[in-house]
Amino acid sequence: MASLFSPAPLLLLVALLAPLAAFAGGRIRPGLAAPVGGGMALVAFAITIWGAALSDPDRVSVTWAGSWDLRFTFVLDGLAVVFALLATGIGALVTAYSARYIPLHLHHEHRDERDVVPFLFYLLLFMAAMVGLVMAQDTIALFLFWDLTAVASFFLIGYDRNARSVQAALTAIVITGVTAILILIGVIMLHDRYGSWDLPTIIAAVGEDGLPGGTITLAVALILAGGLAKSAQVPFHFWLPQAMAAPTPVSSYLHSAAMVAAGVFLVGRFYPLAEQSDLLLWALRVVGLASMVVGGLVALTRRHLKQILAWSTISQYGYVVLLFGLGGDYGVAGACFYVMAHGLAKCALFLTAGSVIEAAGTSYLDEVGGLARRLPLLAVASLAAAATIVALPLTLGFFKDELFFAAAVETGPFWVAASVGGAALTFAYIGRFWLGIFIRHPERGRTAQLHPLSGLLVWPIVVLGALGVAGGLFPGPITGLANEAATVARNATAAIDVETAYHLDTRPENLMALAAWAIGIVLIVSERLWQPAVRAFSRLGDIAGPERIYDGTLDRLNHWSDFVRQFEVRDLRSRVASILAPAGVLVAIGLIASDPTNNAFRVGSVSGGDLLPLLMMIATVIAALTSTLARDHFALALVLSGVGFSLACVYAFSDAPNVALVAVLIETVFTVLFIATLVLLPRWVLRDVNQEPDDHDHNGRDAFIGVIAGLLALLVVWSTLSQSSVFTSVGDEFVAQTPDAHGGNVVSVILADFRGLDTLGEITVIGIALLGIAGLLYRGRLR
Amino acid sequence: MTLAYSLAVAILFGTGAYMLLKHDLIRVAAGVVLVSNAANLFIIAAGLSRGVVPILPIPGGERVADPVVQALVLTAIVISFGVTALLLSLIYRVYTTHLSLDLDDLSEADERDESEQELAQLTGRNVSRRAAP
Repeated sequence: MASLFSPAPLLLLVALLAPLAAFAGGRIRPGLAAPVGGGMALVAFAITIWGAALSDPDRVSVTWAGSWDLRFTFVLDGLAVVFALLATGIGALVTAYSARYIPLHLHHEHRDERDVVPFLFYLLLFMAAMVGLVMAQDTIALFLFWDLTAVASFFLIGYDRNARSVQAALTAIVITGVTAILILIGVIMLHDRYGSWDLPTIIAAVGEDGLPGGTITLAVALILAGGLAKSAQVPFHFWLPQAMAAPTPVSSYLHSAAMVAAGVFLVGRFYPLAEQSDLLLWALRVVGLASMVVGGLVALTRRHLKQILAWSTISQYGYVVLLFGLGGDYGVAGACFYVMAHGLAKCALFLTAGSVIEAAGTSYLDEVGGLARRLPLLAVASLAAAATIVALPLTLGFFKDELFFAAAVETGPFWVAASVGGAALTFAYIGRFWLGIFIRHPERGRTAQLHPLSGLLVWPIVVLGALGVAGGLFPGPITGLANEAATVARNATAAIDVETAYHLDTRPENLMALAAWAIGIVLIVSERLWQPAVRAFSRLGDIAGPERIYDGTLDRLNHWSDFVRQFEVRDLRSRVASILAPAGVLVAIGLIASDPTNNAFRVGSVSGGDLLPLLMMIATVIAALTSTLARDHFALALVLSGVGFSLACVYAFSDAPNVALVAVLIETVFTVLFIATLVLLPRWVLRDVNQEPDDHDHNGRDAFIGVIAGLLALLVVWSTLSQSSVFTSVGDEFVAQTPDAHGGNVVSVILADFRGLDTLGEITVIGIALLGIAGLLYRGRLR
Repeated sequence: MTLAYSLAVAILFGTGAYMLLKHDLIRVAAGVVLVSNAANLFIIAAGLSRGVVPILPIPGGERVADPVVQALVLTAIVISFGVTALLLSLIYRVYTTHLSLDLDDLSEADERDESEQELAQLTGRNVSRRAAP
């Protein structure tokens, strides 16, 4: 194992310790949580840069469950570096912002100021989960960290604890949690085929010549579906706008650089497999395009600042998914570049929205306006961020669109048109957002009084905006990171080297960018003309969109659950039935799934010595069947003891005299006990129960259920007994050691010595039963 | 013999399941007894390696019946007896409180209790005041 002082283990360690450190710091003084946690995040960021600077990706590998071939293997490769930089860097900035924002927020909500500590804990826990997720190579570890992000996001989105945010948190965890199961299924399908949990091993085993067959394609499709749901892509997109109920720092972290980024990260991680199927690439294109269009159009209609950004995130990640779908060096490198540029800028815009809401006291676009003169620094910083998203030159964003256009040109004219349309939509909604806040006059009312903004609510945005511009002037480092990530995502043998530079000529990418800006400007100017049509589209989505289907399904499930419960609690009989029936269904499914013909049912041989147990078994069966017919309770007691005694004989003749002896003793006591109970009960009670005849329907139904239960038991028992035992019993060992235990009877030595502790447990059970019986009977007498 | 053991277990289980669905509490207890008998026979049959009785001295070269299974079943028999005994005294207790062993009567009584409680909640004080003197 490599030493601890290399980037991969250190990064994991620092990231995982960050939430705990913040929590511990917060316990001392609430104000201490943010500096401690933010500092740890910064350290993690620095370690990630260190790891990126190494020529070979650093790795750490620890055996987890060796017999299941499970390992914790973490590699800080190109793809991991991109997403880890985003998670830790933006995590540090958002922590700084939260240090000021959350106490204000708590003050508005009339909550204890100490509640800032759990907030930072979950925020940093999310960061740690992201770091683990992006470095994990073992698919099960990947799944674990994936679920950890879902858990952390649940607490973050539901932080405000009012009905709306709880609802939003529930939707988010249901959507991302249920689709996470799809990932697990896909991963298990891959393991079933290739016998490994290790992703590089699986990728190597699949090879380069297309996915072998529909099963593996389905497995990869399931995994991609999980990723797309997390990235809020159509048709799973509706959880994201709801999640805006969370405080702004949550939105700016989860929905720019972390949670939604995790989705496209997963697509990138499994891209070497997905790339080999044209079907999957087409699916990515369709989903990406649909999300881009739906998100863009709805973003144009929203009034709430954060809602505009939420829908724009859906649209922007649609770009990324589309880029993966377009594929090729430009597509994949473009996707990785896009995630970084968008993460920086969208985080800045979310934080801007938070600051504006804090300053102006309203969160609606048409109630704020003309803030540029009063908040100049915020206006300039968020202008840089907005310019990054709409891809103006001299910002990092310019190159994300250049790569996007280049990938579209490679693929075909339809995608050229689609990409220009998408970019124009982006220009329009981001323009509407920024102009609406800082330049245009408010439509309703006037923001008279502005609350002063603390520095911590502005400076993180300035840092992000400056990064966007710096990246536009010197795109080299970011491009290098994107190229390395793309090399991993395409599993390329030669390093991918996509260039980003300004070219002042009439190449298609430049023309497309000009066209997009022109259309975007026209869209902004002509807002009154198209607004009704887009509103109608958004209404249509509310009426017949996937959100309605989700709500309907949830309602129906609730009804069904209520119905089952109503049935279950009606009386003891329905309770027994509701345990037996599902158990039977599960057993039947298990039988069908395990292919019972595989181990053929064996009748088994009958030798002379078997005659006696056989005869006694016939007696047992007859007694059991008679018990169903017994009208009188005393007859029932006698028949039952008949069952017991003939079973004792079966044991005796099956070379188990110890068992037989105990069975005889127990059966004797049992018979006495049963009859004694009957004697205690007055005759009329027994007669009442007997005389009330089961109506015919019930009797037939019960018998039917009994027969079905018996048949299932027959299938299970028979198929089990037919398998020859392959392992040797520990019994031989016990037989050999019995003389050392100073005993003669192996069974009694096992009970008293070898497995003495089990017997102690048994005695305890009997003792507890005895106490219960004494309590029940004693209290009964007193009445 | 495999089939014979399987059939015996299946019939014991099937009759047990049938009895469990009866509306007579004593027959429900009988169903529990039958099902646990089925389980015990299954375990014995599963470990069935017929041979010499596992009691020393064992003649050399002979196969021994697996003692582990026998020890397991021994424990299981005793515990299922304990459970049955508890069940029977529970039944007796049900009789002393409800004066009936019929499940239908019991669930009716349950519903009656619930509706009485609801009534008491609705009319609140009236009931308790009337009950007080």
